[in-house]
Amino acid sequence: MAGSSWRQFKAILRKDLVMELRTHEMITSMGLYAILTMVVYQIALTEAGEALDVRLVMPGLIWVAFIFMSLLGLNRSFVHEKDQGCIDALLLSPVDRPVIFFAKSAGNLLFLLVVELLSLPVFAFLFLQGREGITNPIWLLGVVMFAASVGISGVGTLLATMTVNTTGKDILLAVVFVPLMYPLLRAAVGATFAAIIGGPGSVETFWAWMTWIAGFDVIMLLIAFGLYEFVIGA
Amino acid sequence: MGETSCTGRALEVQGLTRAFGVRKALDGVEFELPDGAFLSIFGPNGAGKTTLVKILTTLLNPSAGTAKVCGLDVVTDAVELRHRIGLISHNPLLYPDLTAEENLLFFAEMYGIPQATERVRDLLESVELDHRRLDITRTFSRGMLQRLSIARALLHKPDILFLDEPYSGLDPHAMDILDSLIAQIRGDHTFVMISHDLTKGLELCSHALILANGRVVLFDEKDAIDEGAFRETYRSTVGMGVA
Repeated sequence: MAGSSWRQFKAILRKDLVMELRTHEMITSMGLYAILTMVVYQIALTEAGEALDVRLVMPGLIWVAFIFMSLLGLNRSFVHEKDQGCIDALLLSPVDRPVIFFAKSAGNLLFLLVVELLSLPVFAFLFLQGREGITNPIWLLGVVMFAASVGISGVGTLLATMTVNTTGKDILLAVVFVPLMYPLLRAAVGATFAAIIGGPGSVETFWAWMTWIAGFDVIMLLIAFGLYEFVIGA
Repeated sequence: MGETSCTGRALEVQGLTRAFGVRKALDGVEFELPDGAFLSIFGPNGAGKTTLVKILTTLLNPSAGTAKVCGLDVVTDAVELRHRIGLISHNPLLYPDLTAEENLLFFAEMYGIPQATERVRDLLESVELDHRRLDITRTFSRGMLQRLSIARALLHKPDILFLDEPYSGLDPHAMDILDSLIAQIRGDHTFVMISHDLTKGLELCSHALILANGRVVLFDEKDAIDEGAFRETYRSTVGMGVA
């Protein structure tokens, strides 16, 4: 990234951080959604009691919550740009369009990770009390969360840009985003399961799923990078 | 007429066409504007005025034809051209949750302006907003937003300023301030202004253009225009009463 592009990247990211710190719009909406989802999960699983090892379904529950919570944040991420026509002022400046993509994706990734990190203790409190904990090193969970969130924020930023000017953008983003996320979601659930359950061969299984996630991230980010100039121009 | 750093022609538009589906918002628009001129563009809603300005400011690509601004093609030289143009719109194009100073510093970074803090302070002073520099712009009145919008558009010292209905929604005091700011920088810039206000547009311009249904109905220097005939042409062509 050339010097000017790096400076512009930092400026856009800093601007998004300042506005989020001032309004708390994305983090509040995503955080509240994550907590409410977990409460609903807990109610749904109440009758299962001790008969169900919650750890077996926990990876799926976590990622369903994270995927839908990210939709809320992604929808919000371009609302600021649309307010008062700011996106036109940004596009009028001599900034390469991929720089906008990477900066917006980095901002979305950061907000997503913050909410994920805040949600996990709540999840553990609601579901893992009095049960066997996570057997593999906890950092494995951090690795899968980070890698999957890169894919979510990258693809999500591209799709949020595409849908921001459409009517019914909330629904449209979900309709396009969730099917595209299927391979990533499957791999993230697999890797999280291996990290949480542990046992023989679980670390190897974890890294096999991580290869999927890394491949998804690279391919989708390259596609998003290639398409972004066209998408934002349209 | 003042001189900017665009040598020769500020605008060269040839056969410019932009279609949205089957509807042509612009249909073979052609005109040339000399450096330092002030062009007022008139026309009813849907005439293609905003589409024309969006193409000239690189926000939209044409479907056919070419447009050069300061000798730079709006498609192939877009990045270089963006250093040379500024846009003041009826929308302020400012982030409502940033302060006046943060907004200008952000755009200063986008344009790579050296000694940005000093430049921003000078501009805030010139638009009489230095006392509100630390306030978020969501709290600003329409007139204050428009003054800040002018400061944003002038940050990188553009050669050509595009004004898209800049007087829209301003009270008389804010209009006076905008008039005064335009008068201050008139000699150093080429202006292209979209206006629904014939009186104001003709008062400011050196050249006038009427656009209707995506086509140029009239384009001429103001000195060559008979104002009565111009107003009649405007009325008959666009079917609107004059301001």
